[in-house]
Order: sequence, then structure tokens, then C-alpha cells
Amino acid sequence: MLITCPYCGPRDLAEFTYQGDANRARPDPASTDQAAWNVYTYDRVNTLGDHAEYWQHSGGCRAHLKMVRSTLTHAISSVEFVRPHPGHKPSSRRKPGAAP
Amino acid sequence: MSPRRTNAPGRVDRARSIRFSFDGKIFAGHPGDTLASALMANGVTLFGRSFKYHRPRGVLTAGVDEPNALVTLIRGDVREPNLPATQVEIYEGLEAVSQNRFPSLSFDVGAVNQLGGKLLGAGFYYKTFMGPVIGPLKGTRFWMFCEHFIRRAAGLGRAGTAKDTARYERMNAFCDVLVVGSGPAGLKAAREAAGDGGRVILLEMDPLFGGSARWSGGRIEGTDAAHWVEETVSGLRELPNVRLLSRTAAWGYYDGNTIAATERVADHKREAAKGEPRQRHWVIRAKKVVLATGAFERPIVFAGNDRPGVMLASAAARYASDFSVLPGERIAVFANNDSAYANAALLREAGATIVAIVDMRAAISEDARRLASECGGELLTGHAVVATEGGKGLTGFKVQKFDAATGSLTGDPRVISADLLAVSGGWSPAIHLASQAGAGKAEWDATLQAFLPPKPAQDWTAVGTAAGDFSGGHGLDVAPAPVFEIRAGGKAFVDFQHDVTADDVRLAHREGFVSVEHLKRYTTLGMATDQGKTSNVPGLAIMAEALGKPIPEVGTTRFRAPFSPVSIGAIGAERIGDLRPDRLTPMHDWHVGQGAKMYPAGLWHRPAIYGAPGETVEQAYIRETKATRSAAGIVDVSTLGKIMVQGPDAAEFLDRVYTNLFSTLPINKARYGLMLREDGFAYDDGTTWRLAEHDFLMTTTTANAGKVMQNLEYFLDVYWPDMKVTLTSVTDEWAGASIAGPRARDILASVVAGTAVDNETLPFMGIVRGEVAGVPVMICRLSFSGELAYEVYSGAGHGQQVWDALIEAGQPFGLVPYGLEALGTMRIEKGHVTGAEIDGRTTARDLYLDWMLSKKKPFVGSAMMDREGLVDENRIRLVGLVSLDGRPLNGGAHLVEHNDPTALRDSIGHITAVCFSPSLGKYIGLALVKGGKKRHGTRAYVSDPLRGRFGPVEIVSHHMFDPEGKRMHG
Amino acid sequence: MAEQLSPLGAAWKPGRHNVTGAAPGVVLTETRPGSIVQVAAWPGDEKAVIDAIRAVAGLKLPDGAGGGIATEHKAAFGFAPGKFMVVTQVEGIEAELLKAIPITVGTVTGLSHGRTALRVSGPKAEWVLAKLYAIDFALPAFPLHAGRSTMHHDVFTQIQRTGADQFDLYVFRSFARSFWTTLCHAAEEVGYEVR
Repeated sequence: MLITCPYCGPRDLAEFTYQGDANRARPDPASTDQAAWNVYTYDRVNTLGDHAEYWQHSGGCRAHLKMVRSTLTHAISSVEFVRPHPGHKPSSRRKPGAAP
Repeated sequence: MSPRRTNAPGRVDRARSIRFSFDGKIFAGHPGDTLASALMANGVTLFGRSFKYHRPRGVLTAGVDEPNALVTLIRGDVREPNLPATQVEIYEGLEAVSQNRFPSLSFDVGAVNQLGGKLLGAGFYYKTFMGPVIGPLKGTRFWMFCEHFIRRAAGLGRAGTAKDTARYERMNAFCDVLVVGSGPAGLKAAREAAGDGGRVILLEMDPLFGGSARWSGGRIEGTDAAHWVEETVSGLRELPNVRLLSRTAAWGYYDGNTIAATERVADHKREAAKGEPRQRHWVIRAKKVVLATGAFERPIVFAGNDRPGVMLASAAARYASDFSVLPGERIAVFANNDSAYANAALLREAGATIVAIVDMRAAISEDARRLASECGGELLTGHAVVATEGGKGLTGFKVQKFDAATGSLTGDPRVISADLLAVSGGWSPAIHLASQAGAGKAEWDATLQAFLPPKPAQDWTAVGTAAGDFSGGHGLDVAPAPVFEIRAGGKAFVDFQHDVTADDVRLAHREGFVSVEHLKRYTTLGMATDQGKTSNVPGLAIMAEALGKPIPEVGTTRFRAPFSPVSIGAIGAERIGDLRPDRLTPMHDWHVGQGAKMYPAGLWHRPAIYGAPGETVEQAYIRETKATRSAAGIVDVSTLGKIMVQGPDAAEFLDRVYTNLFSTLPINKARYGLMLREDGFAYDDGTTWRLAEHDFLMTTTTANAGKVMQNLEYFLDVYWPDMKVTLTSVTDEWAGASIAGPRARDILASVVAGTAVDNETLPFMGIVRGEVAGVPVMICRLSFSGELAYEVYSGAGHGQQVWDALIEAGQPFGLVPYGLEALGTMRIEKGHVTGAEIDGRTTARDLYLDWMLSKKKPFVGSAMMDREGLVDENRIRLVGLVSLDGRPLNGGAHLVEHNDPTALRDSIGHITAVCFSPSLGKYIGLALVKGGKKRHGTRAYVSDPLRGRFGPVEIVSHHMFDPEGKRMHG
Repeated sequence: MAEQLSPLGAAWKPGRHNVTGAAPGVVLTETRPGSIVQVAAWPGDEKAVIDAIRAVAGLKLPDGAGGGIATEHKAAFGFAPGKFMVVTQVEGIEAELLKAIPITVGTVTGLSHGRTALRVSGPKAEWVLAKLYAIDFALPAFPLHAGRSTMHHDVFTQIQRTGADQFDLYVFRSFARSFWTTLCHAAEEVGYEVR
């Protein structure tokens, strides 16, 4: 499986670490709402089809990525940085296969 | 008659000879020969004994689809079993042995199984050996008795026990177009893709490119096919953007258009060149894949179809035309399609007599009729072979009139004598890779009576015969009569390698197996090392007939990787020796030079003890501990995880991830910190040093360094993206030496320049900077051992120089190096926790670290840590233990209140760490017991039935040594 | 100041190994730069950091992910969003970068000891490295001076292409000896020289 890191480009799955379900919201740190914390800590959606999840490019740029992956086909329909990088520009990669 | 070498041109180089052995007998062959072709050239027809019935078997095919002729290769002490002789290239000195026979191939005791054929039908093992014990000859106990004999009798080759010393490698490749298969369709696809300027990789399983076009005659693009192949391949070789890989089998199609392939780099050589791998595991990521994988000819299921001398027609022709081996002298053909006529012509051209062509169809094409008359011999249309004759080799066969529409046989059987029967039951496109990367099921083609590739789920196209396009080559119609089996009684094999007969398939159906998946598993059809390349479609057809359903409704199973067997070595590839890399501290060589016994801590290697000659481990750590507590000791702490936390928000960040406050920490001071998980359990601990207003050096436990880093990055990226914090792993930047003991300060004072180290300048948890041996160092006064102690950090590249200087300076003061054992002993005496206690199930309160839980701020875990179950006073909590019977304690042992060694119940907790305490003169330990502190001063019993240990202990405070901490504050 | 000790120890065996032709397939060296410094910009401050690197080191980093620049004695490249490596033969560049990059713009982290610089050069450099890393080393995909972050199993590596046939690898020091052994093993097929 290949994941296209917005910084590094397409990379092998082995370079990435799954970092969990991206459908949950962390309660306000000061919140004492136990029910909300419980949902955040333990509840996970178990989607058939497109699923939002966090992956870290741990064997690359180490950025966390939010991606949508189909649990049926592994097809990845979107990948983006979790932490915004407004200054980021994709590299000016040359056309693959162009003569050296 | 037996097979023989001819003078026909082909791939073998007659100018050179190669000597090899099969079952101890020496043979000669030529470069270009496979083991199968070379043995046949020497007149060998018997290659092995079958899996279950030990029937004699010969060569059925000429390639990767071979089910019968499996051999074991021996290289030195290393055995490699189950290799198809049709794929093994011979080399000087090759040593092969046949399989599944005892005591010898031609006289096999196990052949007696043939007499018990009825007994050994489908599901024999399940029926006989599973379930309750009823009578003496049934059930699981009977299996246990019989297993040894059955395992010996049934099965394939025996794996070796010697270590495989061959080298394997991995290669990562990227391309625009990957072409699998180098027949005409593959070569054309590669040529076209190369012309577009993209990077192209072309894979071919065979040593030579070109597929059957090299030897089967015909014309391509107006020129002789073999010549066209030669021209096209040499044209591709000249292109810088094309990589041609022969002897390379693509066997797996994975997500991301990733193809796994194994290149047999040196398998065909007597010895690999130095540095050359035996096999190379290619992982190819392609933008587009072209599957030009060709097609497999199918056998026909009829009685005695497994006798040596029955061979696929295309294989027989290939041996004659490509390997210059005539597989028989008097050859008959049995077919249900026209392609066999072209192969008959090739066999005749090579010098064979075609005695008969038996075609189950009543009417055949003009082309076929013309070829038949050129071949000479009898043409029997509307006939079928109903039996074969001979012992270990074919002498003849019986034919009867046959109606392809009804399957009925009429008239009297007639015997035709022949030494080879070339069979063609139609063609199955090799859709294996396509199926792995297909959306949905393979599509049934009624004309070809075969499955075509499914719709792609990835970016690939299938071309040539793999896609069902047989218009190239001989140009004959390969559409067969829809007949897969001739039912005339007798053992008719579907899966040759697993000895599954047509009757087995029907028996499975009668017993209620209706799903093709279940049928496969029950009969083991198609589950051998050849993965049913010759048997899948005939097996399915027979199943469909039994079910009374059309084949497409029964469906086929999805193919899975690998397409052909792959050695584990190739997948393991470059991971030589240990599976993981070693992590070494800057002082590693010194430790080893001092005779330290190194101990693996994750990937790290750390000294366990610096044992003197004749010393036991216990004696060594007791000596090291005593020396440290009475004078001074030094330990390498470079392995501690170290993370730089930098930025305007660094202090706030630490306040959020630690349970205690760090924003209040003064510059040049360190503080002990505890982290929890989100669920409120304890996670990791360590000290963090404030080096400057915005610079913190966090230390973690050695074991958790990577996990903690990842966790911090997660929080920063996912929950607090606005915080200006940089996290950098600097574990490897610093060498750390911890020097502890009453003389530690004196030693430092004698060796550190540029700073004082007295109590005022360097108080507990203080940090100073200075120099040792001309190298800048950072010294933090903190203690894990409970002694007056300092951690001396220097750049890792200077670690050894600083260490040497400290050792030298310590000489007059009695400084000793100590290892993990003494480190552990001192921390147990002090009651400091490590990963043994912070085990993911304990809370800060369980470890009496509640004093670290700040009430001034929320932090990771603060919301969940006060849940009812986590604050229960009766949770298992940290205590100290003293052995009362003077015997050692065991980590992991349970504690009970009762004094009954036989009663394995009522555990009140367990031991987490043990040692002999030199300071107390007793065996002690740390434990987690229900109620914790409440049990101080009470007696319990250690119960460890597995290791035969039962005895009394006293539960005490975990602060067993210097509870007031006078020593480290001194 | 005292010289840094190499982490390679006895695994560093200078000379030619399994070289059959006139020249080795690859040359392997430990380059031992004086300074290896990581510079990180806060989101939006990348430009200021790139400018500071140019002012201090005279290296003009191109814009864009993985962009880099190299001269004979110094090099810089991006390896992660807003993060750059600056490597110079001279020591002490860290202090200068610290002066040029205030905490409001980004951070400077010294890694001169923590990372070991290994150079793989020669006609078979791409081939040998492709055995170890699952990234595309072909020039069109990995242009001159560009940087990449990747890993060989557990060994995290930053790689800069400093020549058509030359790559500089930065690995964690503690892994260096183990990795070097693996690298030599991988290079044996094509013949290698250790300098």
C-alpha cells in the first residue's frame, strides 16, 4: 500500500504508523464531563467504507496526516496535514521517467 | 522406448557438458537444460511418488505449473524441498533427490496405499481421526497413535534443519510501466511503453525472453517468430529506460500497484559470486501494469491420466523444440481442441512418430485435419482415451467411441501402443495476478471454457493469451469441446499433486459440500505447492456437473499470493543475523573491553554486570552495589530517551503532558515528571531539565523513548496545532554517565573544570556546565540509586573521552563501573518505579505518586484518572517485600495470605522486581498488592507453583533503604 | 576541542572490498562534518528561516518540499514541513544560526553528535541504496540536492542527493555501526571502497 504524504510524496505503508480514528473530538481539557471523555477515550466508529483516520509519517517527515481511507478497498481518497502548514509548497518534482 | 536427446536446434548448448546427480546417480546434461529436460534426455521418466497413494509420477508440464516432478535440492547441509524439476536449471555438481518414497523411488513401500484407495478418499483424515473416541480405531487418540506414520508416508519433501547460509536481498523499484511476461504480447507492450519514454520493467520467469514464440514456429509482424523475439529483445536491451529481468517470477499483486517478484539470481549457478544474492526479492511500484502472463494448458481427467508418459501436448512439443529432448518415440495425442495438432506437428518435426491423434470432437477444423494428415498416424475423431497401460511408464492406452455432447462411451475399447500420450484439454489464461488485483470475480468465457481476468481494481491491463486472445502464434482455434472428464471407471486424477480424483470431488458433493471454497478445503484440491494451476478448472467443472449448475454459477475462488512458491529467505531478504539493528552507546566498546556481560534492552545493548573472573551474576552486582554505596559507581545512561522541547510554548506544552508543573521550573534546574495516558493510567516518567527559557531537555525511560516521542507529536499536531513547539529526538546527541555514591562529588571536583560542584553551586536537581578532558559537559545532580549522584552529559562523539577521564579520576576514590543489575538493585532498595511497575495497569496513586498530580491545571489523563475504579483503595498498590526464609524471590510470582502451597487461589497481588539487597542483607522485592500500604508489617506468602517456590515474606514500605533520602541530599 | 570519535569503530574497514573491475561500484565514507544543525520554522515563518540560513551559511534554499542546496563544504535541505538540516564542515554554525533565528521565528537544534553522516557515491549508488530504502532514487524523482526523510526498517534516515551519483545519509549515531555494516553488506555485490 502506498500513502501519498503531502510533503514526501507517495511512500510505502511501512513508513507510516496508524494513529487512530479521526472522527472523535477531544473535550475541552478542563471539562469534567465524564460522559464526553468516555466517548472520546473509548468509543470508535467502525465504518464500512470511507473512514477518517490519523496516520503519522513516522518513517519520513513525521507529520501527522488526516486521511480518508475505504475500509473495503483500502483506496485513499484524501490525505492532508493535520497541523496546517501554510508555507508548504509541494516540491517541483520533475516528470517521472524524464530522461536523467 | 524412452525419451532421448535430438539434434534439433534449441536452447541447450551441446558444446558444454554439466554433470549432476539425481538420487545419487550421476548424469550429464548441458547448459540450458532444466533438471526435467536433462533427466529425460538421459531416459529418465520416473520422477517422484504421489502425495497420498505413492503412485509413480513423471513430468506433466514444462514449467511452473508442474504438479508431479518435485525434487529436493541439496547444497551442502542445506535442503530445499518441493522444487519443480521443470524449473530447476542444472549446474555442475547439482545434487537432487526425489521425494515421498521409501526406501527408493522405483521400489516404494508406500505404494501399498494404492490398494487402499477407497479408504483414503476425500475427507479420510477428518472422518477417521476427528471426534470422540469410539472403539479402538477412531478418534483423536487414534490420530495421536497414527500421526507419526502418516506424516512420514503422506507429504512432500522434507525441509532441512541446517541454517540457510545463502544471501538474499531486497530491491525497491519504481517504474511507469511494468510488464509481466515476455511472450509476444509482453514484448510488444514493453516496446510501446518504452517508446513513450517512461521507465519500463519487463519480468520473465524463464531464463530466456520470448515465451513460446521462441520455439513454436509461426510468424510475427511478417518475420519468423523466433527471429522477431531476438530482434525485439535486443532492441529493448539497448534502451536506457528499460530494465529486463529474466528468472524473475511476479507472485504478488498488492495495494498501490505494488508487485512482488523473486529473481533467481544465482540459483542456476554452482556458487553465487561473492556478494551476489541467491535470490532477490523485488518490490516494484508501477504506475501501470501490463499482465502478459500467458495461459496454461489443461490436462484431461481420465483413468490412469497420471501415469508417467502422459504429458501436456504443449509441454511435449516444448521439450522437443526448445530443449531438444524427444519425450517419446511413438507419440499419441489426446485433445479436445485444435492447438494440440500444431504441437503434434512440432513433435513429428523433431523426429517422433505420431501413432494416433484422438480427438473427442466429432468434427474438427480443416486446419486441424491438414496438420493431422501431415503428421501421419491415425486420426480418431469422436473418440476418447479411457485407460492407460504400463507400469512405471506408458506402453499404450485404450480408446473408445465418445459422444462429446452426452459424455457416453460406446463400442469396444481398442488398445493403441504408444510411449507418450500428449494431452490437451484446452487453455486457461493465467489470471492469477489479475485475480489478486481484480474487482469482483473472474469472468467465465463459454467459448474458451475458461476464466478471463476480472475487471481491474488497480491500474492494470491484461494482454495476449492472459486476456483470452489466442489469435497470435499458430493461429489455430483453441476453443475446446466443453468436456473435462472421461468417465470410464478407475482413478482419474484432477489434482495430481494432492492426489485428488474426480470421484473425490463427487464424494465431497455427496457429503454436502456445495460451496467451491468448502470443496477446496475438504478435498484439498488446488491447495498444494502448484496451487492447482492444472487442476482448478477441471475440478470446478466436475463440481459444477455434480451440482447440476453451470460453471460460472459455481464460480471460482479468488487467487491469492504467491503465484508460485517463494522462499522465506527471499522475503526476509537483507535482514541478516538478528532481525533488528543494534543500538550502541558511545561507550559500547569500552564496556565490551571490560568484559561486561551485555544485555539487550530493546534494540540497545547495555552492560548487565562487569563480572570478574569466576564471579556469579549475583556476586557481581552485590559487589558493584556495595562499592557504589560505600564509595562510588558509574553507569552508562546514554540510552535514556531524550527529547528537546523548544519554543515559546514549550513550558505550557510540558504542563499539559506532565501531571506536574514545569512552567515554574527555574532555568538550570531539573524536575521529575510523570505522564499519564488519556485514560488516566500511568504512562512514563523521567526528569526534564530546563536549559534556557524556551529550551527543555526531556528524558524518558529507555524502553518508551520512541512511543513517548510519537505521543507528544500526536498531541502537538492533532490537538494543539497552534502551539509553537519543536520536538526533536536527541537521544543520540548526548552521552550520559551517571556517577553515584558518597565519593561522587569528590571525584567530579577533581576532574571537572570551569565550574564548582559543591552543594551550593550544584544543589539537588541543579544543572551546571563545565569541561571534562577539554570537552564541554552538562552536569545535573539527580539520583536514581538513592546516593549522592550526578549525570554527566557530553556530546556523544566525546562520550568515551569523558568516560575515560571520569574512570581515571575515580581510581583513587574506589570508583567502579556498574551495570543494569546493580542499577536495578539500588532502585529496588529505594522503591523507585520503572516499567515493571508502570505496566499500563497501574495509576499514579497505585504507585504512591499522587503527590505529582497537580490540582492547578488540567493535563493529559487528569479528566479520567479519578474514575471510581481507579481510586479504589483496594487496588493492587506498590509495596516492598522481604523474604523471610532467606531464599530468593521471583518476579511474576503471586502473593497469597494463606500458608498452603497446594491452594492455587486468592492471589492478593504479584511481585514486579526482585534482588538481593546488599544494604539489608536480605532478598527483597517490589510488589503490587491489594490495599498496598495497609498491609505494611503483615506477613504473606509467595506462591509460585510453576517454579516450585512457596515461602513467607513480610510486606513493608517500598522505601526500603534510606527512606528519608539523606544520602542523596547530602 | 577534542575530536569526535567515530561510532563505526572496528566496522570501518578502509580499502577495497570485492572490487573486481578497475573501479568499485560504490565508495563509502563517513564525512564527519563539523556541524549538523536542525532548523525549524513556525508555520508561516519558513521564508524568514530560509533567509537566515542564507545569511549565516550562504546557502540559498529553493522553495518547496524537500528542496536543497549543496556545495563542497556545506549543504542544506528541507526534510519535513518547515524543517531544514544545515550541515557544514566547520564547527560552530549552530551558535550563529541561534543568533540569526529568534525564538519568535523558529528553533535551532544542534545534532552534530546525534547524527552520523555517511556518503555513498559511485555508479552503483542508486542500486545499493534501493536495496535498503523504499524510495525512488532515480534522478528525475530525486533531483540533485533534494532531501528525503525515510527509513530502513528501524533506522530513520535523512538523505540528500549531493551529486548525480552521490548521496549523503544522516542516521542516528547509535544505529550508525549497525547500519554501516548493513550498507557494506549491500554494497558487496557491486564491490565497494571504504575511504
